[in-house]
Amino acid sequence: MDPPTLMNESTFQSANAATYNLSEIWPFSINGGGDSSGGGLELPRPLFGANLGQFGEANMNREGSGNDSIGGRLREARGGCVGTKRREVVGSEDESAKGLSTSSGNGMNDSDGKRLKTSGSRDVHHNSKADGEGNSGKGAEQNTKTPPEPPKDYIHVRARRGQATDSHSLAERARREKISERMKILQDLVPGCNKVIGKALVLDEIINYIQSLQQQVEFLSMKLEAVNSRVSTGIEEYPSKDFGQQAFDTSGMAYGWQTQREYLRDSSPDWLHMQIGGGFERQT
Amino acid sequence: MNPHPSSCSNGRSIRTRFARRFLRALKKIGSKGSSSRPSPRDISWRCRRVKIAADASMASAVGPRRVWSRTMLNMLRSRSHACLHASRLGNSRRPGADRHAVGKRKRLVLKRKLPNRLGLNQVNQLRRLVPGGEAMDLDILLDETAHYIKCLATQVKVMRSIVDYCSA
Repeated sequence: MDPPTLMNESTFQSANAATYNLSEIWPFSINGGGDSSGGGLELPRPLFGANLGQFGEANMNREGSGNDSIGGRLREARGGCVGTKRREVVGSEDESAKGLSTSSGNGMNDSDGKRLKTSGSRDVHHNSKADGEGNSGKGAEQNTKTPPEPPKDYIHVRARRGQATDSHSLAERARREKISERMKILQDLVPGCNKVIGKALVLDEIINYIQSLQQQVEFLSMKLEAVNSRVSTGIEEYPSKDFGQQAFDTSGMAYGWQTQREYLRDSSPDWLHMQIGGGFERQT
Repeated sequence: MNPHPSSCSNGRSIRTRFARRFLRALKKIGSKGSSSRPSPRDISWRCRRVKIAADASMASAVGPRRVWSRTMLNMLRSRSHACLHASRLGNSRRPGADRHAVGKRKRLVLKRKLPNRLGLNQVNQLRRLVPGGEAMDLDILLDETAHYIKCLATQVKVMRSIVDYCSA
């Protein structure tokens, strides 16, 4: 009596083990129902009603609850079952009690249809014991293998994930476009970079260009230091406001090809004309 | 896209601002160092001062709205303090080591995953070259790189013209 119920309790967490126990245990309960003639006949109907009511409750709770609360509800449901059974069927034997406990334990495995079927089978087939038992046992196994609620949860999560990846991929695509756009801008900035194909090579060119510019700054600062200590008075005499313009003009001569290209690539050539015009005005 | 309108609209002012600041700094350095015969250590120190002045005036001409200029200004501020202390103490190795350690830690903390088809080596190299590039996303890094290249080119042009003018 007690060992099967204990097993059921301990194994209801895993669906397969539970179904195995179920098929093993069902015959007992059916036999018990069949043996207790009058009481056994009347036992299933109130049980059915009670089970249904408890299932509705259990389902509602299960939707929002985790595993822990399921355990608690299991005990609650079983207590309810036992209570109703004892109230209504006084003359039932130990076997029928065992059947009750197993049915409540199976209910814990979240199969509503199983309980409906088992109770239905009890109603209909309690005379033809072995055949009815086999059918009901198989039906219960199928139901426990595909419990209705957990898959819904999984599908929900998957849908959310799919949406998330979709937006992610969209953002990623936009980012990639931005990157390639910037790469194009950089290619236009760096001389001799237009003919290079392949992002790694373009980046190599860019890096070389930056390094060469930084080295030039270093070299020029060394040169300036030498010049500065020699002719610091010359610099002091020169008004810095004009010096900026003059610097632009001479550099424009020296780097005409580069500045031309760089500025023509920009979307506002007005600025270039303004600059040049101002420079010429200043000079003449 | 982004760097072009902004740098175009005030590229001229950046150039003039840089030239003005840099000349002021040069004057200061020249007046300070023109006293007596320069020892080799003195010369190297003044070279570094000129370089720092060029960087600082470039960064301050750009202003704090760019990441690289902000980083450069911060770096220079901390380094110039360290540099002054080091020069007073006669220990010139310290600031470089400090800066290096800070940069390494930053890089370790802030490294991001990058697409593989962009050469990882190149991108990391670029991050090291552009000031403040360790903490950037790739598209921002490229943006900043474009602006940085433009400013470096401007810097080189202005400095070269100054050298030409002074040596002519």
